[in-house]
This record gives sequence, C-alpha cells and structure tokens, in this order.
Amino acid sequence: MRDYIIRRLLSLIPILIGVSIAIFIIMQLIPGDVVSGILGIEETPELRAMWEAKLGLDKPLVQQYFSWIGKALTGNFGESFRTGAPVFPEIMIRFKISAELAILACVIAWIIALPLGILSSLKRNSVIDRIVRVVALLGVSVPNFASATLLILFFSKAFHYYTPVKYVGLFENFGTNMEIMLLPAFILGSVMAGSVMRMTRSSMLEVLRQDYIKAVRAKGAPERVTIFRHAFKNSSIPIVTLIGMQIGGLMGGTVVIEQIFSIPGLGQYVLTGISQRDFPVVQGCVLFIAFLYVIINLLVDILYTYIDPRITYS
Amino acid sequence: MKLLKTNRPVKNRALPGNESLLRQLWNDPMGRAGMIGVGIVILMAIFAPWIARYDVAKMHAKDKLISPCAAYWFGTDNFGRDVFSRIVYGARVSLVVGIVAVGIAAGFGYLFGMIAGFFEGRTETVIMMVMDVIFAFPSILLALFIVAALGPSIVNTMIAIGIVNIPVFARTVRASVKTVKSTDYSANARSIGLKKMKILFKHVTPNVMAPFTVQATLALSGAILTEASMSFLGLGIQPPNPSWGSMLSDARKFMERAPWLVIFPALFIIMTILSFNILGDALRDVLDPKLKL
Amino acid sequence: MKKLFALALALVMALSLLSGAMAEENVLRYGVDADAAGGFDPHTISAVASMRMIGQMYNTLVDVDENLNVIPELATSWEQPDDTTYIFHLADNVTFHSGRRMTAEDVKYSFERILDPAVGALGNSSSYVGDIDTVEAVDELTVKITLKNINAPFLANLSSSYCSIVDKDVVEANDGSLLLADGGTGPYTLGEWVPDNHVTVNAYADYFDEAGKASFDAIEFYVMTDASARLAALRTGAVDLIVADTAMLDLVEGDDSIQVVSYQSRNYTGLFLNVNRAPFDNPLVRQAVNLALDREEIIEFAFNGKATVSGFVPASLGHWAVDVTENEYYTQNIEKAKQLLAEAGYPNGFETNIIVGLLDSIRDTGLVVEQQLSEIGIKVNVQDVERGQYLDAWNGHDFDIMVCQNGAGSDPSRAVAFFFKTGSSANIQDYSNARVDELCELAVATSDAAVREEYYKEAINIILDDCIVAIVASPQEYFLASPALQGFAPNASNANNFAGVTLAK
Repeated sequence: MRDYIIRRLLSLIPILIGVSIAIFIIMQLIPGDVVSGILGIEETPELRAMWEAKLGLDKPLVQQYFSWIGKALTGNFGESFRTGAPVFPEIMIRFKISAELAILACVIAWIIALPLGILSSLKRNSVIDRIVRVVALLGVSVPNFASATLLILFFSKAFHYYTPVKYVGLFENFGTNMEIMLLPAFILGSVMAGSVMRMTRSSMLEVLRQDYIKAVRAKGAPERVTIFRHAFKNSSIPIVTLIGMQIGGLMGGTVVIEQIFSIPGLGQYVLTGISQRDFPVVQGCVLFIAFLYVIINLLVDILYTYIDPRITYS
Repeated sequence: MKLLKTNRPVKNRALPGNESLLRQLWNDPMGRAGMIGVGIVILMAIFAPWIARYDVAKMHAKDKLISPCAAYWFGTDNFGRDVFSRIVYGARVSLVVGIVAVGIAAGFGYLFGMIAGFFEGRTETVIMMVMDVIFAFPSILLALFIVAALGPSIVNTMIAIGIVNIPVFARTVRASVKTVKSTDYSANARSIGLKKMKILFKHVTPNVMAPFTVQATLALSGAILTEASMSFLGLGIQPPNPSWGSMLSDARKFMERAPWLVIFPALFIIMTILSFNILGDALRDVLDPKLKL
Repeated sequence: MKKLFALALALVMALSLLSGAMAEENVLRYGVDADAAGGFDPHTISAVASMRMIGQMYNTLVDVDENLNVIPELATSWEQPDDTTYIFHLADNVTFHSGRRMTAEDVKYSFERILDPAVGALGNSSSYVGDIDTVEAVDELTVKITLKNINAPFLANLSSSYCSIVDKDVVEANDGSLLLADGGTGPYTLGEWVPDNHVTVNAYADYFDEAGKASFDAIEFYVMTDASARLAALRTGAVDLIVADTAMLDLVEGDDSIQVVSYQSRNYTGLFLNVNRAPFDNPLVRQAVNLALDREEIIEFAFNGKATVSGFVPASLGHWAVDVTENEYYTQNIEKAKQLLAEAGYPNGFETNIIVGLLDSIRDTGLVVEQQLSEIGIKVNVQDVERGQYLDAWNGHDFDIMVCQNGAGSDPSRAVAFFFKTGSSANIQDYSNARVDELCELAVATSDAAVREEYYKEAINIILDDCIVAIVASPQEYFLASPALQGFAPNASNANNFAGVTLAK
C-alpha cells in the first residue's frame, strides 16, 4: 500500500511539468498581455518597454519559463504581475473558501440525492421512480447563474433578505459564514444532486440484482438491513468515485456562483488571472488545482479498500 | 434479456437494428417522453426559417420589452426583437454547438481511447496522462482558456467544449478495448499487426456503441450548459446570433422588469436537457442495463 | 428536505437580523461593479475601479471643479512667473497617514517618482506631467516646477490621480511599490482589501482640510459584478449606495425607498473608423456611415434613453464643446448615405467587421449599428471580444470599425490631441491631418484661453467634417442610494466625492 501511494505521488511530477508547459504556451498564445492591461488607454511604446523590463517579459521565453520553474521548485510560485503579492499564500486562502463551498455543496447534494436514489431504485419503473428522476434532473437542467439570479431576486422581494455582503471565514464567525455559503452551496448542490441520484440508482439496481442480496432476503433479514448494510454499502464504490470527481471539478468550477455571490474563491482568482493575463497567478492556480485533483483521486482509490476489502493495491 | 449477466462483450447485441431500438424506446414511457422532447427541438432547429416570425436581429424601436401578445408570442427583448423567433433560431445554435462539440469529443475520444487501449505501455500512460490533465481542469475554466486563446466565435466555442469532453469518451473506449482484449476472440485470433487491430475495431466498436451513445446524450446537455455559462462570463457565441444560453445571460438584467425574457429560454433549455437526459437513461436501459453512467 | 433547508435558512436569517440590529457604526457600504484591479498605487494604476479608493486615499496639488476651474487642494495658491514656471504654496498642516508632515520635499519626491522611467508611471507623458524639466523645493512649503516647453493644460493635468503626492518613506518601505500600501494624505486610509469581496478605507482623523474631512468612520466598497445582486443588496439594506445600470432605472421609478443620483459624464461612445483601410479610407464612405446612424435610436436601445447625442468633445466640457446637432452628418439621411456609397463605388454596399467589448453599452451600440448600417447595404459582422483582445485591437490599431467609450478629460488637449494628433498613443486610427497637428501644437503652446478655444474649435470642425469617427452619445451616469444618504452630489470631475456626505440613520 505504501509503495503504491509513493508511486502515485511520483506520477504527479510529469503531470505537473506537462501542465506548467501547457499553461506557459497558452499564455503566450492568448491575445493581449499583462502590460496592456496595466496601461490601458495610456499605453505608449516607452511605457510598454518600461513595464516589460520591470516584469522580466523582455527576456527570451525559454528563460522566462525556467526562471519561473526554478522558483516553483523551491516552493515559491512567484508574485502576481499586477499586485506584486505572493501567489501561493493567496491560493491557500482562496482554496479554503472554495473547498468549504465544494464540501457544503456535496453534502447538500448527498442529502438530496442518496435517499432519492435509493427510493427510486427500490420502486424501479413506478410513478415515484419517474417523478424522482425528473425532479433530480431539473437541478442539472438550469444554468446555475439563472437559478442564482432568480433566488437572489426571490429572497430580496419576498423576505427582504440578502446574504451578508462582507465575507468572514468559517472560524471567524461560524453563523455568518454559513449564512454566506448556504445559498450558493445549495445552488451548486442541486446541480450535483442529479448525477449523484442517477449513479446511486443504477448502482443500487445492479447490486439488488445480485444473488447474495437474494440470499440475504431469503434468510429473512429485515428489508432495512438488506438495503443499507448490504445493498447500499456494496453499491457505494461508483458513488464515491463520482463524488471525488465532483469535488475535484468544483475547485475553480464554482467561478460563476462565486462571482454572483462575491465569494472570494479560487475560481475568481483564476478568472481574474486569465483576464488580466497575470501569468504567475494562472500558472500557480492551475498547478495547484491539478495537484489537488490527483490527490483527491488517490484518496478515492484508498477509500475503495475500506469499502471493499477485496480491493488491494500492490 | 435485461438480466443478462456476463462480463464478456456481447456480439451484435449492443446495437440492435435501428428499428427495434426505436420501437423499444418508444414502448418505454420515459423513452417516449425523451424522444418527443428531442424531436421537437430538432424539428424546431431544422425548420427554424419557416417557424420564426421575424428576423432574429430585427429591432423594433417602438416595441421594446413588450410582454407576450398576439404579435409577439413570447414578447420582445430590450431591443424590441421577437423572443419567439430568437428561441426558434436559438435551438439551431444551441443544438449545433452541442452536437458538433460532442462530435469532436466523441471522435477524438474514440481515437485516443483506441490507441491507448491498443498499444498499452508508454503510449497509454502518456495519452491517459494528457487526458487526466484535461480532466483535472474545471471544464468551464478550460473552455474559457481555449476561447480566450482562439478568440470568441461559434466554431471556437464548439472546439473548446469538445476538447473539454474528450477524456470521458477516451476512458470509456479504453475500458472497452481492454475488456475485448482480455477475451477469447482476440486470444483466438492473436496474430500480429494490422490484423489484430482489425479484430479490435470489429469487436470494440459495437461494444462501445452503447456507453458511447448514452455518454453522448449526457455530454450534449452538458455542452449546452457550458455554452450558457460561457455566455455569462462574456465569452459565448457572437451576437446578434441567439443561443439559448446567451439569451438567458443577457436577460438577467431584465428578470424583474420582463420575466418572459428569462422564462422562455430557461424553459427550452430545461426541456432540451431533460429530454436528452431521459432519452439517455432510456437508451441505457434498452442497450445495456448494466451500464453505469 | 426542502423544509429542513428552509428552517435552517430562517434560523440564520433570524440570527442576522439580531446582529444587524446591533450594528450602529457610521459606515458607508457601497456596492461597486468591479474590484480594484491590481491595487492602489496612484502612479501606476489606470483601472477606474481602483480610482474609487485611490481618490479617498490620496491628494493632488490642485483639483478641478465641476465647471473645469482649477481649485486648490494640497497647494493653497500658485503663481506663474512665466509660461513654463509654476510656483506652488502648500498648505502647512498636511500630514501623511503615517503622521509625518508633508513638505515641499515630498512633492519633489512624488514628481521624481512619476518621471523615473523604472517606475513606469502613467503620468510620465506630455498629456500629464512628462514635460516637467525640474522640480525644486524652494523652502519647506514652496515648490517650483519648470517645464521644458509651454504646456497650457499643465495645471489641470496636475489634478489627475496619476499626479498624487506620495509618502517617500512608505514607498521605500514597500520596495518601491504602493500597490498594496498606503502612502497618502487623503481623508481615508487603506484598511483591508479582500479581493473579489470588499475594500475598506478608514477615516483619517488628522486630515488637513476641515471641509473635506471624512464624514464616515469607514467606507466599505463591496464588489458585486452582478447588477441584479447590487440592486437586491440595496433594496434589502445590505448596502447604502450602488453603481447603477440604466436597465435598473425602470424598476426603481416611483419607489420612495430608493433615491436616484446621477451626473452627466464627460465620456462618449462611438464608432472609430480605420481611415487607413479600405473602404474607410474613402471620405464618402465615412460620411455615408455617419449619415446612416440614427443616434437617438442607439441611445434608446444601448443606454435606455439615458444619454445625450454628442461629439468627441461632449457638451459637459463647457465652452470647449461644439454643438454637433448642427453638424450635417448628425441627422440620419438614408437616401443621401446610399447615394454617397454609390458615388464611392459601393452601390451594393460591402461587408465589414465591428469590434465591441468591455461594456454592455459598447456591445449594444455595436448591435444597433449593425442593424442601421444594413439599411444602406453595409453588412456588419459584430465581434464581441474579450478584454485582452479588445485592448490588442486598440493598441495594434487592428480593426475596421471599433466601438469605444473614451473619456474626454478636462481639457481639449485630451479630447482632441490625445485621440487625433498624428502619432499620439491613443490615435488608434492613425489619422493624420497636418492642420489638426498644427492647431494642437499651437493650442498647447499658448496660455490664452480664448485663442486656445479658437484653435481647438477649428481642429474639432476639421475632424468632424472628415467624418473619421461617428460618435454617438455621451452617457449619463447613475447611482442608486438609500434615502438616508444625504449630500451625495457626484460630478464628472469627481464621481466619488464623499466629503460632507452623511447617512441619516
């Protein structure tokens, strides 16, 4: 097991190098650069030359890349071209916010989807099953910016309510933080619920068909035990996979909701970085997200061995 | 037939004759609902010029933000443009974006999955690593990145959404290739080179069709939503061409003043995505109930 | 499940009401449409969104009032012994936020920083203070500035935030950058910046000018890029003031719980034609484009009716402006336009591209223009591009038609010379007219206002007759506020002036 984990972690290195080269090339290809963003309408050739020198953009491309990677190897993701603030601490601050949002969204999605999925599988092809499936799909069908705008309008009109505007961290003020996060998390969660529900349903269906479930039932075990101890536990592997993928996807994928609710998360940081052509910010964030993705996948794989002891890695 | 239990790929069952497939779908109430929904959207897209009542870009200065009425069935927007006509043409844009994007994703996914599964070893590691890298990136951000690099246009939007969706298809195909490889057919016919490849193609393709079709219906709805989110972030398709996503995004400012601007595009997006999803579910049940997607 | 969620929400809402009732601080909460971009260094930040905070944190030697008169700020008075020499007498009670007294040395340092090539300051060009030859601290409170050549609008240029006076100690303590530091003398100090959420500025108790003193304990700028979120926040009392979108105005009409505040901007929106590219190198085509436009209709669609027909020197520039409504190309005439196109050799029109971006009003203008030009047979492809591409088209002068919204500044040296003089950085059309160049040079080199006005008016009329641009309108800017906000009177010279503004709670 330990060897396996080490091997997986080592495979990170080529992925991260590949990502960093890809990002560097894309940033060169994108029209516009950070200097035109800084100078805007005041740009003159002299000012441009000054800023390029100041930011080291006048050096050959290869040298720019290696000077960045050199720093990155020492754990320093460099400083933002725009603010001059170090990138890594900012990523960590924003990661915590996005992670909280993602986890809350997942929890909400599970709370909605798991019971519905199990119910739907038990009542397969009944009217209830069909209604549940359509309702679960509704969340997936509406672009989340539309549902967010609608909910904001609804709460402000009907309850004279708007989420607190000043962001506070989870550990500064738990209540206010929850108040800020719940509505956005609910919107994200309702989108995720559709696919979790679908996955739960189909995994359950498959397990329920297996002979051993029939055996358990034949033994006269109560239906609740049959469903939860045996069927659900054994069908949870694909569900765990899906959840792992979703949490990974939510890192930065929450950008639309973050923007509407003014949540200072990772998604907005990357988006600002892209639109300002702030290379160190984009590079740092993307590498971090890729790293996280691999780690989450690893965790999911390790989790498998607990769910199903038959699975081993060597 | 629904309880067929085997890990071996089943020859010629994954793709039954088209006629019987459609009939099976039609007999399932969910499948029927999905087929009707998808049918309506496709018909709308095809016959848009005959259904639409006005030019989609035509502005009527005196008829700004009019609520639904006899002259404008779905009302007008802030430029006095007919919402009904824009919805009808929007079906075209949204569908084309979805279909082409999924086509790109499925095509390249098939190719990469085949190569990876066939050659194994280093080739597979590299290809799957690239797929992992693409997959690791939140799809909306990656699509934004690509469109920012290529410049916003309908073609580039399709390319971007297509690229984002390649890994899912590649993984599906690779898994199928591996299953086929481990079975008797290929073991029996284990000759070398092209011949082997021919066998693979012959056996993998039918087996991969089922997960592929289902995946495609799901990816299609995902593509329509991604396009909508990109419009929201200012990198959608080019005006004055309407897509449902861009209509919805533009309408947010007017949600309170003119709710019909939001309601109709939203309704059609919901209907389309619901239909495709339901159809996908039904297809899966018909094609291969064991599929987990 | 939904019930549970509703219950939880109701609970947190009740909690928030309790905590809301306890808050009794004198804070202005201001919902803005964009986050500060890059930070708050007054010398290197060009983003309008950052200016909102920079304006509270820094002062300049002089200011410009609503009617474009230069008025005292850090300098209480000034004299001009000759055309290229300015002597400023500084207020004697100005302190930086560090508490240190501001002296002539600091003014000298600030201009040296602006002129230092390594800093890359935006004011280091002749449209600001790039013409400075020497800055001398005559005594503790007297500064003498000499210019290399006569620059008539120099005094007005000094009112730009690019010419803010900064604290040398703070600059040096922060490795030469003020992006995330506060080295100002203004009524508010930089509090905290949580990017993508809010910026807080706190009152500075020792501000030198009683009248300009902070009337709030703090101003909190909340970043709400989504217009409907801003309106919802204002309606529910989460913020006291928001930057409005013209589409919102219909919703708050007749609503007593919301007050509308507005001012006429000195910006203008319009079409810039690429005069070096066929077919726009042909004056007849440019005239036809101008004649094809129904500017009132564009205003109705793109600005919800809240703008006035304008040229590139808007009426808000007072006596400098030329009344464009009398211009023959400002009244739509489709027949004449078609005829001109035919004369130019395009009887069936042609196809061209129009670049739009950055703002909704720019994009919407492009969309209406597309329709209007199709009336005379010109097929326009609208290219709604992302910010970086828009700036690339601007800087690379790479476009057929580009819709821009520009600021006319406070002097025609900006409105005319900056955009239309040969070789000027903002002359994105590469327009070149010898007489216009000559007039611009003459106008900068004389300090007689009446003569300058004559020069500029001649230049303006040449450019108008050349039809190289098709300017549409000068927008009205709007804010929405709670009725409790009193004394907020923004103007085009200072849109975020909170001196004397109060919240009657």
